Amino acid sequence: MLHISNLKKGFQRTGEIFLPVVSIDELVLEKSKMVAIHGESGSGKTTFLNLIAGLLVPDEGKIYLDGIALHELTESKRDFLRATSIGYIFQSFHLLQSCSALENLLIAMSFGGQANQAKAKEMLDLVGLKDRMSHKPGDMSVGQQQRVALARALINQPSLLLADEPTGNLDAQNAQNSLNLMKELCASTGASMMIVSHDPYVIHAFDHQVAWDDLNLVSKHQTCS
Amino acid sequence: MIRPGLSIVLFLALRGVRKHAFSSFLAIFTIAMAAGLFLSTWKINDETRRAFNHSSSGFDAVLGARGSKLQIILNSLFHIEASPGNLPWEQYEIIKNTKGVKEAYPIAVGDNYLGYRLVGTEPELLTHHEWKSGHLYEIQAGGRVFSPLVKEAVVGSFVAGKIGLQGGDQFHPYHCLNFKEENKHRDIYVVVGILEATGTPADRVIWVPIKGIQLMDGHDKSMSHSLSAVLLSLKGAAGFSLDMKYNKQGNVATMAWPVASTLSSFFDKFSWFQKVLELVAGMIAIVGALIIVLTLRSSMNERRREFAILRCLGASRQVISSVIVLQSLILACFGAFSGFLFQYIIHFFVSYIIRENTGVLMHDFSVDIMGAYVFGAVLLIGLASGVLPALQVYKAELSENLKQNT
Repeated sequence: MLHISNLKKGFQRTGEIFLPVVSIDELVLEKSKMVAIHGESGSGKTTFLNLIAGLLVPDEGKIYLDGIALHELTESKRDFLRATSIGYIFQSFHLLQSCSALENLLIAMSFGGQANQAKAKEMLDLVGLKDRMSHKPGDMSVGQQQRVALARALINQPSLLLADEPTGNLDAQNAQNSLNLMKELCASTGASMMIVSHDPYVIHAFDHQVAWDDLNLVSKHQTCS
Repeated sequence: MIRPGLSIVLFLALRGVRKHAFSSFLAIFTIAMAAGLFLSTWKINDETRRAFNHSSSGFDAVLGARGSKLQIILNSLFHIEASPGNLPWEQYEIIKNTKGVKEAYPIAVGDNYLGYRLVGTEPELLTHHEWKSGHLYEIQAGGRVFSPLVKEAVVGSFVAGKIGLQGGDQFHPYHCLNFKEENKHRDIYVVVGILEATGTPADRVIWVPIKGIQLMDGHDKSMSHSLSAVLLSLKGAAGFSLDMKYNKQGNVATMAWPVASTLSSFFDKFSWFQKVLELVAGMIAIVGALIIVLTLRSSMNERRREFAILRCLGASRQVISSVIVLQSLILACFGAFSGFLFQYIIHFFVSYIIRENTGVLMHDFSVDIMGAYVFGAVLLIGLASGVLPALQVYKAELSENLKQNT
């Protein structure tokens, strides 16, 4: 379960002006639940996900994931938690271009403390890439790359899947397939999912929807550039 | 195979090497050149001294005409350089019967066959003298040593291999030490034996009776009672007394003794050259280290995105900076191993040149303790080259790299 309270994050910009980006009173995401957060591009949604993933440190506030106080962890412990308990899908997928699909999964697994080739192959099979395991991202279609990113995010059986505009680079058909696959896999592994998007089509695919402007107190007053 | 721990670091480091194959090759090549040159300089100097000192054919001293000790040794034991002059035959008789002289063999030079020297001596040199402790010269099957009063020859194995002389072959010697067609003597010599290889200068000459050289057709009649040098084996402290007698008190002949220290002073004259080569090797090593740093820096710039992705997947700062250090160590390691290959190639050619020109056989290539030191030093250079870029990566903020790549 994810529990966030009084979370604040801002950045010092040029001219020494402090620009608040995220300010959230409270947010709770129960185990196995899926939520879609919708809002305009550049409004701080990615920063919010990066805070949950431990890629950024909050200025204030608390983040608990499965009872672990993420905000109190050292960087190396946050790294390990990210490797084992959090799956992250980026808009541009962030696949390792010089590695094959299988290697992309094995590398992610190795940071989580295990690298089981059979399991990685099974996961690629599950996302329909049985025949593309040794292909590098550059030799795959965008839809296939997105499925590699999904497989990689879920390979360590995380309790939370974060997805940042995951269908932004896909056509309508691929986007639909991808969303279905994501929901299906999260349901089967029991992972919670938080997806952020500005695309109404994506948002409507989820029962539980939250408007970023309602969640983020900063957004009520201004929009980040 | 990708596994947690060092395995994943090694995998990523090797990927880095492969991705920047050209600059990696350049770094490896430069380091290999530096290591190979340094090791060769050290090893060849050491090995050449050893080989020459062990190629004095079992003699302790040489009695020659007044002149340079080094020239006498090079001419009579290594069969290079010209003789400083001749000695009267009486000098041989005197020294042969001097107390403390164990063996004395006269030699006479001044003729060649196709550029290979004819060395006139007594047959006992080939039958009784130990050219190495416990080793007498051996003649290949079917052959024998020449008779002292007949125009017969025993051919060194190197010469036999080079010009194809075999038992029963006949040849005309040529006057002087350098081959000139017009200097052909009328005398005809018959090959009666081929020496087994010894790895000493004895392999690259043609041995004939001393009377043959002295009485060769066309030679000055005064040559018939002179010789070029006397090769000596000594007992006890005879060297000191003979040195005193010939070099300090006399003015008839020069006693080239001791052979080893005379050769050593010869090599010392070239020690500056070794230092120059070592300096060059050091400079190349610095260039190699700089290439490693530049390779890593350019690799880092291009891999910024990759490192950011790895951090997103859970890689710690330590893992990422370890990848950089290991990549540097891999380049250094390949460089050091290739350095041994370079050393081998240089050793091969230098050995060949020395053998062709002096007959001195160098040891086969081997890696010794200096090789281990150089290997360690190269790894240290690799480590030092990798630390700075690794620190930069370690300090880099993930959010900055993410911003650049998202």
